Amino acid sequence: MTTENVESILRLDWTIPKKDYSAKIIILPTGEKMVIREISRKEVPQLLDTIRPLLTISKDYYDIVSARVYAELLGWYRYRVRNEYCLVGIVNGELAGIVNNRIFNDKLCISLHTIALKRGARVGAHLFAAKQEHAIENYKVDEIFVTAESPIGFKRWMVEWGLEARPNVQHELGGANAYALTKESYFEKKNKKVFGERPVPKEELQKSMNFKTVIPDVAR
Amino acid sequence: MIREVNIIGCGMTKFGNRSNEGLIDLLKEASINAIKDAGINHQLIQAVYVSSMLSGELTNQTAIASALCDELCLVPAAADRIENGPASGGSAIKNAFLAIASGVYDAILVVGGEKMRNSPGDKITDLLATMTHPTAEYIHGVTMPSLAAMFTRLYMTKYGVERKHLAMVAVKNHENALKNPYAHLQRRVTLEGIFFSREAEVNNPLIAEPLRLYDMCPISDGAASILVCSNKIANKLLDSPVKIAGFGQATDIQAVSQRSDPTELKAVRLSADQAFKMAKMKREDIDVVELHDAFTILEIAESENAGFFKRGTGHIALEEGITALDGKLPINPSGGLKARGHPVGATGVAQVVELAWQLKEEAGERQVQGAQKAYCCNFGGFGNNVVSFVLRRDQ
Amino acid sequence: MMQKMIGVICNECKKVYYPKRSCCPNCKDIQLKEVEIGNTCTLITYTELWAVPKGIDKLPLTLGIFEFENGARVLGQIISKKIEIGMKFQPLWSKIRKINGKEIYGFIFESIS
Repeated sequence: MTTENVESILRLDWTIPKKDYSAKIIILPTGEKMVIREISRKEVPQLLDTIRPLLTISKDYYDIVSARVYAELLGWYRYRVRNEYCLVGIVNGELAGIVNNRIFNDKLCISLHTIALKRGARVGAHLFAAKQEHAIENYKVDEIFVTAESPIGFKRWMVEWGLEARPNVQHELGGANAYALTKESYFEKKNKKVFGERPVPKEELQKSMNFKTVIPDVAR
Repeated sequence: MIREVNIIGCGMTKFGNRSNEGLIDLLKEASINAIKDAGINHQLIQAVYVSSMLSGELTNQTAIASALCDELCLVPAAADRIENGPASGGSAIKNAFLAIASGVYDAILVVGGEKMRNSPGDKITDLLATMTHPTAEYIHGVTMPSLAAMFTRLYMTKYGVERKHLAMVAVKNHENALKNPYAHLQRRVTLEGIFFSREAEVNNPLIAEPLRLYDMCPISDGAASILVCSNKIANKLLDSPVKIAGFGQATDIQAVSQRSDPTELKAVRLSADQAFKMAKMKREDIDVVELHDAFTILEIAESENAGFFKRGTGHIALEEGITALDGKLPINPSGGLKARGHPVGATGVAQVVELAWQLKEEAGERQVQGAQKAYCCNFGGFGNNVVSFVLRRDQ
Repeated sequence: MMQKMIGVICNECKKVYYPKRSCCPNCKDIQLKEVEIGNTCTLITYTELWAVPKGIDKLPLTLGIFEFENGARVLGQIISKKIEIGMKFQPLWSKIRKINGKEIYGFIFESIS
């Protein structure tokens, strides 16, 4: 067995047809506009640069969340993760937040992480809604398994979305207790949770393609 | 015959998330700023009044005025901790006023502070809820936001106040706070972001319907301080010191449901009447106001009950820009509790600090031009104990 | 067991209050007699509280202030889903929450359809 053969065994990429996420624009409480769009694999290194300073910040669980997101994005970049997608939120040309999910199969999506770099503007809430929108409406899965590492996360996802506890399921993030967002529940809650204008005006979209990475609020 | 009371020094800390400082550190910082501002030898201070509502419950420190006296080397000055819920600051200043006006003391340091952000939110909500009536309110699950919400609904039904007006208070106060380096929240919010847009549903979520996130002041750490003294001391230092021209204080029925008109803030009106009477001034004389907007509805309601606008027209004055920073009667140039923040024991003192700066023309970018007379009210409980002040500075 | 809502009426000005109190906030008189509050009241204001205290297991918690015919105004939890100002309600004795694990009882309000 040659090295080339082993690589083809180890290599993971998309094993189901990829679906496009149509970028949208969200109005934040500050009046600023956030572009939410999907990133391509080649943008991963820039995201890793932004996340790196958070690896040592224990406040609000930034260390563990960013360490895991770092691994997930790097894994995708190095072809060691299957069916992962990542959306980013860009405000005034700066990276405001990152979310990622993994499509398990045509019925199930695994919700991975949500990191808000710009705080106090509900960036995380809007991005979480967007990544679930992609899974349910574009990939048409039946349900999404969600977990949380921080109390803020638990409040925003489990409590505010009213997720169903799934006591028999261990989430792939450390075997944590899983909660499910079913497609029925998603559509029930959609008009109070999922927003945004499409399409994004050309100029805004262009600005969001070359985003700056800034020092996240919590690291300053 | 009561003596005149002067404010000869003011100081405060930045309000916000002060994770590196304890309560005593914050009280010290504000006190030292006020003493430096006064430029007097701190050994002249004969009494120290410290206002803090929750020092025992949140920081495990009681009798904190005595501790601060030692920390600041003000021993053997007299010292008291004064507690009146969110009106602790107002009460502390009132007591200092009485001590100077009576002729017994000549120089008193007043400092209010609170350290709240390192405690869990639900613990703070519960502690604040203990101000409510134990059997008529607290036991049923009442929290301060829920009382404010029920009050708001009554106000909306009776006077036509709309959610849009509540959002306008938040927008105005956040805008003002951008010009206040001491404010906790220094970010703009827009009517579109928190009210008009569909996204507002997520941006500005319900807390106690109809009140939302941006209708409530944040939980903050911080301290504020003033040095008050008699004419004997003030006249040696300043040509034209800021004077506390009058104060008033009144209580009301504790349970909101038992008040004859639950939309009326009687204690605001009575305390304001007393303050204006003592100051021998009228509402029309006032150039700038600081009100206690723990909830956005309260800025509107207090502006009416304090006598600046007829009942039911406060929201119209807001709409017309009368209470904006560049309006005829600016309210909360500091950003108010909504954006300056609300370290509970500090607020009443911070209101007076802001007004003193306004009257001394030291308010920087948020200066109300030509301000000579000011009013503030510090609202305790849900309006069942209110302290009002009228300040003036002759030029 | 049917609990009755017992408040007080002021001998002097005849105002009624619940819970009981020992002096009248209206005329300051201290002659207050026990009186039954009643079984029907009107909702005058309410709120749905999404940030609920510990020991309350409902989310949201709906609270209202009700006015009885004799003028007494009372605050309590609402268990009905359809709520409008002006609707008629009745008080019911029930568990209202836990405090430090101990069950606390009081009057809650249900709409009279």
